[in-house]
Amino acid sequence: MTRTFIKRLSSILFCTGLISILFSCSPINRLDGYLHLRLAYNPTTLDPAFIVDVSGGSIAAKLFNGLVRLDNNLDITPDIAERWEVSDEGTLYVFHLKRGVVFSNGREVVSSDFSNSFKRILDPKGRSPNTWVFDKILGANAYMAGNADDITGIETPDSHTLKIRLEKPFSPFLHLLTMTAAYVVPHEVYSSSENDFGFHPVGTGPFVLERWRQNSELLLKKNKAYFGTEANIAGIVYRIIPEDMTALAEFEIGNIDAVNIPASEYSAYLGSPTWNRHIITGSALNTYYLGFNCSRPPFDNVSLRKAVAYSIDREKILEGFFEKRGTLAKGPVPDILRTWDQDIVYKYDPEAAGTILEEPGLQNITINFYITAEQEVADISEIIQYYLKKTGFNVKIKQLEWSAYKAALNNGEADMFWISWWADYPDAENFLFPLFHSSNHGAGGNRTRYTNSTADRMITSGQTELNAKKRANYYMTAEKIIIEELPLLPFWHKKEFLLIQPSLRAFVTFPVYTMDKGTEVAF
Amino acid sequence: MTGYVARKLILLVPLLLGITFITFLLTKALPGEPVYSMVGERASPETIDKLRKEIGSDKGTISQYAGYLNLILHGELGRSYYTNRKVSEEIMIKLPNTMKLAAGAMFIAVPVGILLGFLSAVRKNRFADRLISVLSIAGLSVPVFWSGLMLMLFFSLYLKWLPPSGTGDIRYMVLPAVTLALPSVSSFARITRTAVLETGLMPFVRTATAKGISKTRIYAVHIMKNALLPVVTVVGLDLGSYLNGAVLTETIFGWDGMGRFIMEGIIKRDYPVIMGCIITGTIVFVLINLVVDIAYSFIDPRVRINGTDR
Repeated sequence: MTRTFIKRLSSILFCTGLISILFSCSPINRLDGYLHLRLAYNPTTLDPAFIVDVSGGSIAAKLFNGLVRLDNNLDITPDIAERWEVSDEGTLYVFHLKRGVVFSNGREVVSSDFSNSFKRILDPKGRSPNTWVFDKILGANAYMAGNADDITGIETPDSHTLKIRLEKPFSPFLHLLTMTAAYVVPHEVYSSSENDFGFHPVGTGPFVLERWRQNSELLLKKNKAYFGTEANIAGIVYRIIPEDMTALAEFEIGNIDAVNIPASEYSAYLGSPTWNRHIITGSALNTYYLGFNCSRPPFDNVSLRKAVAYSIDREKILEGFFEKRGTLAKGPVPDILRTWDQDIVYKYDPEAAGTILEEPGLQNITINFYITAEQEVADISEIIQYYLKKTGFNVKIKQLEWSAYKAALNNGEADMFWISWWADYPDAENFLFPLFHSSNHGAGGNRTRYTNSTADRMITSGQTELNAKKRANYYMTAEKIIIEELPLLPFWHKKEFLLIQPSLRAFVTFPVYTMDKGTEVAF
Repeated sequence: MTGYVARKLILLVPLLLGITFITFLLTKALPGEPVYSMVGERASPETIDKLRKEIGSDKGTISQYAGYLNLILHGELGRSYYTNRKVSEEIMIKLPNTMKLAAGAMFIAVPVGILLGFLSAVRKNRFADRLISVLSIAGLSVPVFWSGLMLMLFFSLYLKWLPPSGTGDIRYMVLPAVTLALPSVSSFARITRTAVLETGLMPFVRTATAKGISKTRIYAVHIMKNALLPVVTVVGLDLGSYLNGAVLTETIFGWDGMGRFIMEGIIKRDYPVIMGCIITGTIVFVLINLVVDIAYSFIDPRVRINGTDR
């Protein structure tokens, strides 16, 4: 009797449990009024002083503000600074701050917040990797080296005025101030929780961090006290989904509102009658290139670099394999930032390559070609290998995962490598100086180890020149020298392709992630 | 039994020393340096040197290992190079998630696998046996990333029953647990079948049949109990590997567990994370083996755990 009763009770409980699970099951996982986006990786930190990844930077743009920011035309526009003056010699910047701008803890932003935020990055005891953003300020290097107690170039004459004096003119300085590292943070919060600020950030942005479940999701809520244009949405949910196919499944059932289309799925969505109307595209400031190690044989020879360039049909690869997901690069500087004329050079010409390779000492060349472990890169490298083999090169591909790859490149181990450069700010200087100036060999960005004193001079002259026309001339001369000497063969400037939900309005992609404050998008 | 357990736990110390030393040497032998990933682009050589000193990568490998052991002796597993968060705290978040997933997978794999194996043995060389054999081979051969995506496609996209990814309640656990369980179901079924068939040939089964005991009782009580020993061994091994993190399953379904944690640690060369996960994994594996050994003595009283006459 008892056994039968227990059996029956168990059966009823089991069935009830199963039915309730089935009824409660739904694939929908979203909050009303919130924009749902996907991140491929968990951001390392949300502390602007330490952010080096795009995931962290794009979220920080919604949580923090700087003195100035970029508008939709890539021009500098006021952010927390109401206005500013630049001295004639271009070394003194005086910023007048808006009144009533408050951190999400309710305290008003004053000029000392900016000076403290900048000093924190340059702190000799700190470990910020972003010191290069502020090392142009007068006295910054002495402070970083521990030879000075303060930075002489930063002054706060009153609570809403900030003076920054540079060691010498630096024309893109305002652009540097649009970067993540230049966001203002409240001193009293980060100093009381140095290790924790990156996980519980307090800023002035249009959103505040509500919760962060590591490796799962971040929830940003609209900041009602935001001083700028109020967001049209209740908040943003960032779902951390490492796998592309999973992200697409989440998008198709409506859990994600916008998602980058992975290369392998691009043609499928383009041909889909359901989704092709919901693909949006945007230009990004990047250059994908084939780099040559110019510091040692075989690529210390300019002719050999040109032979490689003539051997590869970049246009065909872009149109065929890359499905026109970018524009053919005329040079290392993206077309959007180039204010001078530049034609496409080194068009596919295997005969010209063959002629060069007839020169003495240029036969049977073996190239160690380093690439990362991504499938798309592996495919591109095999196409490049095919073209180079046709003209007589012997190409050995060495595939490394990112950390090992970066170390190998920085140490100059590769003969040839495939990599890209993405802009931090929209200025030609951001491509020319890190990629080609001889002071940046290795980790600084110049992985081709290219050295040309004239190009160096032109780039540094462009940095200090305040007249836009003259500056463009310096950059133009530098780019022409670089294209002629070809330390790298620029392939294309990749475009962004996103799928967006039909319910989404005014969703746009931005060429630089710091531009996206999340205030324009609406349902 | 207490002596046996104590001895096993004491043996854990030299085991951990050996494993941490080998892992440390292997991770250091890998190409790549964490500093380059930590600083992003455009870092100055001074910043790179400063960070190298701070994380101790400017010292020799042995000196670094000694430093790490010193840290462990103080009850610490270090901090992640990237997030500066305590590895032990991160593990305390991720290990329960992995345990939940492993329990879910075992909850499916053990009964289904044993049942299928038993059915296969009882219906030897019949249609059911052949079908189960084919399915078992398929379950073992199909890669997890494929079966995971197929399950997601069917149950999330078409049927719209379950969320495709995330870490959370039972709704989020079903698909990764089933994916993780599939190969185990197959291996449990095959091992159960073999064990049941082998046990069926034992003299005590003939004796029981001669005594007129019903076939159902012979299978359910006499054969099944004796056939369970090899199954328990495999269950222990599979559970141990689940608890060390199912990298592919956790990645596909965005499950925040140990597998993803150690994978990211390896990719970024985050040595404290790698070491912390390896130490945790070793402890978990040893403990599970201990539990399996103890389970033997309950299943088969002939197995004695006293440390000498096993």
